[in-house]
Amino acid sequence: MANVKNKENNPSPIGASLPRNDVYEKVTGSAVYTEDIQFGNKILYARVKRSPLPHALIKKVDVSKARALPGVKAVITGADFPNKIGLYLKDKNILAIDRVRFIGEGVAAVAAVSNEIAMKALELIDVEYEELEPVFDAVYGASKEAPLIHPNLGDYSVPNFIFPKPGTNIANHFKIRKGNLEEAWPKCKYIVERTFKIPHIQHVPIETHVATAMMDDKGKITLWASSQSPFAQRALIAECLEISPTDLRVIAPFVGGGFGCKAGVTMEAIPVALATKCKGWPVKFVLTREEEFYTNFVRQGLTITVKVGCDEKGRLLGLKNMMYFDGGGSTEYGVNVTRAAGYSSSGPYDIESVETDSICVYTNHPIGGAYRGFGMSELHTGLDQAMDELAEKAGLDKVEFLKMNTVKEGDKLDTGMIMHANGVNQCIDNVAKSIHWTDAVKPSSPDKLRGRGIAIMWKAPAMPPNAGSSAWVELAEDGHVTVGLGGQEIGQGTFTVMAQMAAAALGVPYENVRIAGPVDTQYSPYEWQTVASRLTWSMGNAVRNAALDARKQILDVVAQAWHENADDLDIVNGIVVSYKTEQETSLKNIAIYGIPKENDQGWVGGPIIGRGSFMPSYVTGLDPETGQGTRSVVHYTTGCEALDIEIDKNTGKITVLKAAAAFDVGRAINPTLVKSQIEGGFVQGLSSAMFEEIMLRKGVMINPSFVDYRIATAPDVDFPIDTPFVEVPQDDGPWGARGVGEHPMVPTIAALGNAIYNATGLRLPGPPYSAEKIYLAMQDAGIVK
Amino acid sequence: MGFQRITLTVNDLVETVDVPTNMTLLQMLRDKLSLTGTKNGCTAGECGACTVLMNGEPVNSCMVLAAECEGATIITVEGLAKGGQLSKVQQAIIKTGGVQCGFCTPGMLISATALLARNTNPTEHEIREALVGNLCRCTGYVRIVEAVKEAAKM
Amino acid sequence: MINPHPGLPELEYLKPSSLEEASKFLADHAGEARPFSGGTDSFVRLRDGVWKTSTLVDVKHLDGTNELSFNPNKGLTIGAAVTMNKVASNADVLKHYPNLAEAARSVASYQLRNRATIVGNICNASPAGDTIGTCMILDGVLNVHGVSGFYSVPLSNFFLGPGKTVLKPGDIVISITLPIPPKGMVGTYKKLGRNTIGDLSIVGVAVLGYPTHETKSGFRFRIALASVAPTPYESFKAEAVLSENPITADSIAEAAQAAMDSVTPIDDVRGSARYRKFMVRNLTREAITETWKKISK
Repeated sequence: MANVKNKENNPSPIGASLPRNDVYEKVTGSAVYTEDIQFGNKILYARVKRSPLPHALIKKVDVSKARALPGVKAVITGADFPNKIGLYLKDKNILAIDRVRFIGEGVAAVAAVSNEIAMKALELIDVEYEELEPVFDAVYGASKEAPLIHPNLGDYSVPNFIFPKPGTNIANHFKIRKGNLEEAWPKCKYIVERTFKIPHIQHVPIETHVATAMMDDKGKITLWASSQSPFAQRALIAECLEISPTDLRVIAPFVGGGFGCKAGVTMEAIPVALATKCKGWPVKFVLTREEEFYTNFVRQGLTITVKVGCDEKGRLLGLKNMMYFDGGGSTEYGVNVTRAAGYSSSGPYDIESVETDSICVYTNHPIGGAYRGFGMSELHTGLDQAMDELAEKAGLDKVEFLKMNTVKEGDKLDTGMIMHANGVNQCIDNVAKSIHWTDAVKPSSPDKLRGRGIAIMWKAPAMPPNAGSSAWVELAEDGHVTVGLGGQEIGQGTFTVMAQMAAAALGVPYENVRIAGPVDTQYSPYEWQTVASRLTWSMGNAVRNAALDARKQILDVVAQAWHENADDLDIVNGIVVSYKTEQETSLKNIAIYGIPKENDQGWVGGPIIGRGSFMPSYVTGLDPETGQGTRSVVHYTTGCEALDIEIDKNTGKITVLKAAAAFDVGRAINPTLVKSQIEGGFVQGLSSAMFEEIMLRKGVMINPSFVDYRIATAPDVDFPIDTPFVEVPQDDGPWGARGVGEHPMVPTIAALGNAIYNATGLRLPGPPYSAEKIYLAMQDAGIVK
Repeated sequence: MGFQRITLTVNDLVETVDVPTNMTLLQMLRDKLSLTGTKNGCTAGECGACTVLMNGEPVNSCMVLAAECEGATIITVEGLAKGGQLSKVQQAIIKTGGVQCGFCTPGMLISATALLARNTNPTEHEIREALVGNLCRCTGYVRIVEAVKEAAKM
Repeated sequence: MINPHPGLPELEYLKPSSLEEASKFLADHAGEARPFSGGTDSFVRLRDGVWKTSTLVDVKHLDGTNELSFNPNKGLTIGAAVTMNKVASNADVLKHYPNLAEAARSVASYQLRNRATIVGNICNASPAGDTIGTCMILDGVLNVHGVSGFYSVPLSNFFLGPGKTVLKPGDIVISITLPIPPKGMVGTYKKLGRNTIGDLSIVGVAVLGYPTHETKSGFRFRIALASVAPTPYESFKAEAVLSENPITADSIAEAAQAAMDSVTPIDDVRGSARYRKFMVRNLTREAITETWKKISK
């Protein structure tokens, strides 16, 4: 009974930094990613013929010579698959049919016995284009002067919370009209109005997109994909091909980084389409790094104008946000980024009057999809820097200004939703303390300028109101537990955290829980997508419910067998115990075969399988004209970041001395994994602030490789990163937890922009804050000669 | 296009392989020897996901022709653990939490192993410099650098 | 639209057994065959489809290509197959040509430096080449084998334009010889990239200096600049300032200004001409100051 009496000997897995359950495979090279799956000699390689023009009609596609090349097994064009595909606004095809809308868009695809032959086949495909006038700017694209990129916008299927404007290039226009802005401005003592331009960037997962598909003789398809969305891919591709979802099986191994680019459907549809033309042959499609940079998903660019005002005490009274998202040639996913940026456009600030127009515009640029932050980075880059300027104008210390204006529990948000308890002020305090905000600081030499900047953020999971999760929990003869789930391990540690949750809810050791992976839509329970920082909260609830369900079944069986009350029983460390009689039995003894009745009179129980499901019930629609509604989102995660930097007066180069990043995670199920997410997200944010830009010249990405698309490397982050996270519980989160996956990269650009301003007095119009931009700005301002 | 027969040592095993002349060492390891631990991230020598030890030195295997490897000694991530025992760097990176998606991990482990072989007590600066050619997008490098320091102490 | 091959395109691999065989093959297959050593530049170009090469000729084992030796009378000979890492860690290089070691160490990553070579860096003839400037101001001479036999060419005569050199089909650079540097020579290489290290240069400045009776100032400085001209560029105007005038903070600043005025860089994906010019000035000033400090010790 030592087990039971000393619950201290069995610390809960919740809140424990337990080692990851996928790490042994990953350090030995045995972890299987999609390209590692080998099919032997019977394999075909896919390559895509891409448009060299940003906007053109397709007059003719002649694939006859390519089809005749020995070693080519299939060639497809857009016309072979006429249905539209897309997550929200269905505006794209598997391959372009009558029009191309960005450079790199696929026009035809080849499956051949080698990449060399496939590449030769591409050269034999003749495409005749008629060039159309292109659109390379979102503001221009939204104007009456711009040519139409989707003349049939009105025909596209769209859910009722997206508002396209047929006859224009506007794919979505989300509005907030709260309070009375016209009355608010005159009451403001200080007003700031600024425009910022945030360029396109790419996710840069170290593993590019990979998808292999095979159709068997009965017409059933298997798709192996590096995927954040096996179930969404199944649903969308099946719908497009007019087959039943259960005839398309998606198997999703470990993912080498996603950050949103492997959500929804992009290149995965192409090998599936090819596979339908060569039954029995697996068709493998691996994006080159160059293709990954500009032909698949990017983060849309944003032009944002922020006008914000406060009274003489610094209390915010009004905010007007004008956002033009450069959505690219297809906005099937990007329309929701516009919406999410719109309904969260106040940031974590309490402002009585808010007017926002968040507009998603078609352009002839690469396709904007889901990117970590889902509009929040771009928004806060503008919003937080405008706030920074306003605080200075009002003569207030930034930290004081922030804490006075943050949303508190009970406040009415920009959509009318009532805010829940949150720890944003604690985050601000933690970060300010970490960076020694109130201490005076000096540059380390006369050649340097010193500055510090701080910025806050919030984000809610952006998803449809009925996005669901499900899970099962199964026990084996040895008392070990298998958890079935549909969410993907993309590096965030979800397999580990789910195992911890199942272990805690059921009462078994964490080491005895394994995840039924790889996720396979044939066997795994449904999960909407691995996006939105939703898994810890949503799938966690499902897993917890499944484990509790299993626990209840076990206790009911044992109670029956022991003639006891289930309320007096518990499972501790894999042992069922009675607090009343002190009787105990290991799960091993009952998990499959049940418990015998007395006197050989039969058995009770049997195999234990728990089920759990979770879907929020309370998310409401928002008025299309005002953006007001009862509850726009499930919850917000808030946070704060600060940077202490020096700028070299000879080169403009930034050296970060220290960084602090704090987020309110509700409850840290695994503190090391939480800190790891914050560290990694912060560095990705810093990389986007200092280095990253998809350089587009007339629609051409001129830097589609690591040579000239620079990301942060190990020497670039040689400074301490402090991560003092906060826990203010989420009422409907498992053990109070909410997500933090995206949030750490959201405020970083603004924090750096604020630090640069603090050091130089200069505020640049947009990231990346390269050494060149800073140096030339200092030259122009006379700070250096 | 021609073929070349090469004989080389991979993870202490002698292998004889027929390779097309345009095949890289990376492709040979993955496709001919089924050693899929070494990863392809860019095919341009920039990301380091394909790093292996060739004659004791870390190289980007996507930038080496298989045909050049006659007589070479190659160590991949699969060859770091000996007799089921993880190497110091492997153990350390588990301990410090330096693995997230794991795709950069094999290359990182090889670069780190090579560093500690030539410098038993590297400074933080030297560690970061040695890893500049290994890109990571998940971890921010924090716990990877900690792992190398930890391994140096073991 | 940049859309390279997923791997390398179809190509043959040749490992000739002698310099004669190699030069003959290359001359006979001009335009289709290329020599290679580390492959770090070649493979990228092949994937991009920029080169329509069908045969790569491996020169790494040919006579003289693996030499790395120092002769107190002749100087340092670096074979074509000797990697950057080997050069950067060689005891003789560190003792007699530490500025070359510094330049070599600044290239890319440790992995790439285990394949990239100094000779390859020179033959690639990119104006951004990090080791070229230092080799130029050390008066390096290339030892070449062609269809007509052996010949030499000093680096100062070698470059014709970006990616273009005086080499003809059949020519293989076997090694580079750096003469004994002037007594008391010190130098440095300052490189500005977008990242902290490991990037291509936005601007690179190689400086060396040594005491001499041949100038008014009693010192001669050599200054070579990367990424600011179609070829690696030696700024004689800047050097003259330091030959004619006593070395002070003012004359160093003047020399740096002369370097800035003498270059016409372009706007490209890595940086603008305007920024590059300022950086030439600032980095040259820094490099000369550091070199001067070392000399006056």
